Amino acid sequence: MTTPRNIDCSADYQVSFKKEEPDLFIDLKGEFGLKNLTVFTRDIRKAVSDPSIQNLTIDFSQVCYLDSAAALSFVQIEKEAAERKITCRLVNLSAEAKGIFSVIHPDVLTLRPFKPEQTREGLVSQIGQTSWSIGRDFVNFITFIGDLLSALVYTLMHPSTLRGKDVLFYVQRAGVDGLPIVAMIGALMGLIMAFMSYLQFKQFGANIYVPTLVSFAMIKELGPIMTAILVAGRSGSAFAAEIGTMQVNEEVDALQTMGFDPVRFLAVPKVLAAVIVVPILTVYADVAGILGGLIIGVTTLDLTFKTYITQSIKTIQVFDVVTSLIKAAVFAGLISAIGCQRGFQVRAGAQDVGKFTTSAVVAAIFLIVVADSIFAVMLYYVKRYGILA
Amino acid sequence: MKRSSMQEASEKTPILSVKNLTQRFDDNVVFENVSFDVYKGEVLVIVGGSGCGKSTLLKIMIGLQKPHAGQVLYQGADIVRASDEALNEYRKNIGVLFQSGALFSSMSIKENIALPLQEYTDLDAGAIDRIIRMKLGMVNLGGYENHNPSELSGGMKKRAGIARAMALDPRILFLDELSAGLDPITAVELDELIIKTNEALGTTMVIVTHELESIYKIAHRVLMLDKEARGMIAEGGPLELKENATDPRVRSFFLRQLPENQDEQRFYAD
Repeated sequence: MTTPRNIDCSADYQVSFKKEEPDLFIDLKGEFGLKNLTVFTRDIRKAVSDPSIQNLTIDFSQVCYLDSAAALSFVQIEKEAAERKITCRLVNLSAEAKGIFSVIHPDVLTLRPFKPEQTREGLVSQIGQTSWSIGRDFVNFITFIGDLLSALVYTLMHPSTLRGKDVLFYVQRAGVDGLPIVAMIGALMGLIMAFMSYLQFKQFGANIYVPTLVSFAMIKELGPIMTAILVAGRSGSAFAAEIGTMQVNEEVDALQTMGFDPVRFLAVPKVLAAVIVVPILTVYADVAGILGGLIIGVTTLDLTFKTYITQSIKTIQVFDVVTSLIKAAVFAGLISAIGCQRGFQVRAGAQDVGKFTTSAVVAAIFLIVVADSIFAVMLYYVKRYGILA
Repeated sequence: MKRSSMQEASEKTPILSVKNLTQRFDDNVVFENVSFDVYKGEVLVIVGGSGCGKSTLLKIMIGLQKPHAGQVLYQGADIVRASDEALNEYRKNIGVLFQSGALFSSMSIKENIALPLQEYTDLDAGAIDRIIRMKLGMVNLGGYENHNPSELSGGMKKRAGIARAMALDPRILFLDELSAGLDPITAVELDELIIKTNEALGTTMVIVTHELESIYKIAHRVLMLDKEARGMIAEGGPLELKENATDPRVRSFFLRQLPENQDEQRFYAD
């Protein structure tokens, strides 16, 4: 708004009241906006609340600045006055002030929203919706596994359609880049395990079994499981976020319209890369674990380097190593499949990407544990009845 | 078509002054020594081809990016070298509409607009609610307060973005790529909205766009940046530039033609 002449606009705003019953005159001076809105509306309301008042006149001639929120509050005061049968007049409005009042549409202020406000659902409907969404998720996942398998079979039959560069890229992302953390966690696990078991074993003078325990546990269970959980956190989430963002940017739709199968184009390279790389990472984790144990063995247990290694190697059986690698490959398949599937489920918005990325990691860890339990039982019987031996 | 009444009616007081602004990323100079004033109450449109630094300039003016050298003065204070508190104070006086609207997708339209009001004012819930309804009415979105951004069309998102940018009644409104990607009717609606808001509230506006139709309609003044010149090559009213400009780059932009004798090169270079 332009400044009216002869008014000092840098001074604080002023609201002066002049009462000549039954009339009330209010003179405004200075700037009226969001900053002082609460205070001046309170003052005016207080003055108007006097029951003897029947006519209200608000003079705008000395207003330097008025914003739409302040104008709205005057409209509101006018409305409240009308409800109490007080005639209210806003006088000496400058052209600018009139313009500001003109943007306030009284009907909009009382218009009912086209959509009701979202409220929290009741417990029963929440349970119902959750069950429904779990069921739908499961069906989705199974459907996706079907799509993925058919895409994999197609790729096997037509190897030239495989995007080799993509596979190598994800091998590097999920494998090479993940190696330091996998090796470090593996070594620390071996170290902790060796130390804790030493505290127990030394009571029986059974120190010599520490390397046995470390290598057995690392190779059979901890190596594959721990690697899989790390890969789920690093790469499963990355796959979901990547595909999810592509989904938001309509890149997946673009692929589809160009005649590509998004699953074959986006998911197959990731799944193949994970299946190649996770068993290798597992071997690294196993070796790092045994080396971690070795540090304790040599420094605390009075074992020689050679004894520790011989003892470890004696424990390791080909069957265990092979099954551990198969397990790792299956985990890798599950992690990457769930990561991609959750990515494809993203519909719109940043929040969806976050939601499905989280869900990819949680579901992957859950599936890893379930698959591991199945393997534990299955491998026991396989070994007992000598199916593989 | 020509919108010059405001210019003639009120005296020109600069509200924002850009002085000798230079921006470069390593060796790549985006623009050098750009200086201009933004006058109170005007609609200033910044135009130029892709990569000329329009968006960079806008980002510097709203304090999102630091320039290599130069000043941006708001009420005499340099926002480029301002402290974080001073910059935040400046930001309460400006509103920004981003290219895609940048509405928070996790919140309803109402919550989007309420956010700055709850954060920076001491208003009670009833007053905030009334202000939200008024702002939505201003942008013709009355009744849409409980919708989510994903349920709105592109033009509606932009209008909701304007309502959010206008929540605190800013002195200056910055709009990035106002009508890019919108259908002509929606674009015209937005132009009308801009004109109406500018005329009714007197809000100063700085707009980046390259929609010629819209420029002729809404702009009081146009600044043209050029990539090769690394800076401003023209300034003036839109029709004035269209009719009187001698610079071939300006002419070709406003007449929507490839510069003569460069036709072939352009075709192959792009």
